[in-house]
Amino acid sequence: MNDISSNAIPAQPRERPSTAARVGIGGPVGSGKTALLEQLIPRFLARGTDLAVITNDIATKEDAERVRRSGLIAPERVLAVETGACPHSAIREDPTLNMQSADDLDRRFPGLELILIESGGDNLASSFSLDLVDYWLFVIDVAGGDDIPRKRGLGVLSCDLLVINKTDLAPYVRVDLPRMVREANEVRKGKPVLLTNCAIGDGVDAVVEQIAREVLFDR
Amino acid sequence: MTDTSTSLALLQFGDSFFPSGATSFSWGLETLRADGHVTGAAEVETLIAGQLRQRWASFDRPALLAAFRAGADLDRVAEIDRELDAATLAREAREGGRRIGGALLKVHAGIGTPGAADYRDRVLRGDASGQMAAVQGFLGAATGLDETTLCALSAYGLAVSAVSAALRVGLLGHVDSQAILVRLRAVVDEAVASPLPAVTGVHAYTPMAEIAMMRHETGSGRMFAN
Ligand SMILES: Nc1nc2c(ncn2[C@@H]2O[C@H](COP(=O)(O)OP(=O)(O)OP(=O)(O)O)[C@@H](O)[C@H]2O)c(=O)[nH]1
Ligand SMILES: [Mg+2]
Repeated sequence: MNDISSNAIPAQPRERPSTAARVGIGGPVGSGKTALLEQLIPRFLARGTDLAVITNDIATKEDAERVRRSGLIAPERVLAVETGACPHSAIREDPTLNMQSADDLDRRFPGLELILIESGGDNLASSFSLDLVDYWLFVIDVAGGDDIPRKRGLGVLSCDLLVINKTDLAPYVRVDLPRMVREANEVRKGKPVLLTNCAIGDGVDAVVEQIAREVLFDR
Repeated sequence: MTDTSTSLALLQFGDSFFPSGATSFSWGLETLRADGHVTGAAEVETLIAGQLRQRWASFDRPALLAAFRAGADLDRVAEIDRELDAATLAREAREGGRRIGGALLKVHAGIGTPGAADYRDRVLRGDASGQMAAVQGFLGAATGLDETTLCALSAYGLAVSAVSAALRVGLLGHVDSQAILVRLRAVVDEAVASPLPAVTGVHAYTPMAEIAMMRHETGSGRMFAN
């Protein structure tokens, strides 16, 4: 019988995974998911990250077209997945078409490092299948009300990173931002919460750093 | 396979909880509704009955059964697959069939169904199309279904995905959709008993749905992929 320990494979230096890291961006309708994408793309590209994007539009190809037209990224690196009016299903119960699109991007762009997947605007109970993504963000915004974190929606509680967007609007919608952040931290029991203003890009660098640290590792 | 385990396999693979990407496809319904051709439950039922009689019976079913009979002979499955792909006119119908077939292959490869990973490699290499009916047929054999059960699974899959798309676009209610599924059983019975063409002689005549899928390519409605 072979002595397994003597044949033990020596520790290999970590190799780059053969497929890109997949990061989901979920959150309610209009919270700023596409705006965040538009702020993330140039930052990742500036960092030298090889990037592609998948959008899950609800009724059109509007978000995909918006990202393609933005000139921020080569249009062929942006795919749209139709969800048959079931945005939650397309990222959780049946993420097969999103996975197919991500596999497709991996094949078409060897060396791809990161795929950002924007979910269709959904409700607070949406979440990503862990078969689909390695890491996921949930984007809420202050204009949705400062009671959102308190409502303990599945998305708010279980995402890897909660982004509270549109901080610039707090004074106009009578939102107590410090309280909103405090409650978000309480319900998330220490998991990260970051604040952004995606209209001008405030706070987005921290989101990039967090994603890079968690899923791009040493890249 | 024992009866219970066949029933369980059927329940699992026929359940809309089984991930296949099917929810993203309306097979023309999104456009037929937008164009005012389908406005309520009765028309949805007529449309599905037409799909079963005029397409599924003489187009999907021959390929399904041929692939089932080919079983582990994946070269033969690929031939059937190619016929099916070449005979599917509307681009979004062809792509829809490939995407669902591809999704089924990936999930079955993941759960260890024999042949699924091998056939998926062929599709990824471009040596096979991965059309839904061909894939469903050989996977049916690999998972121990019999021909009758497989036909029921395939026809029911078509009907349930159509009524559920209709429900989601607001054409009918949840009870209507179940009543339609009950009534369609007779149509499926009839379709199963109809003459079975050879794979090289598959034929379909569902012009409204075909034209709708062609129009869908450039239409503004995009909830569904076809
Ligand atoms: N003031 C302000 N407006 C923002 C901010 N982020 C996004 N917006 C605006 O909010 C609106 C919705 O933003 P989107 O990025 O389209 O939101 P979304 O979450 O992608 O929306 P869906 O995909 O439709 O669910 C747009 O008009 C944006 O310009 C922000 O930080 N501050
Ligand atoms: Mg968006």
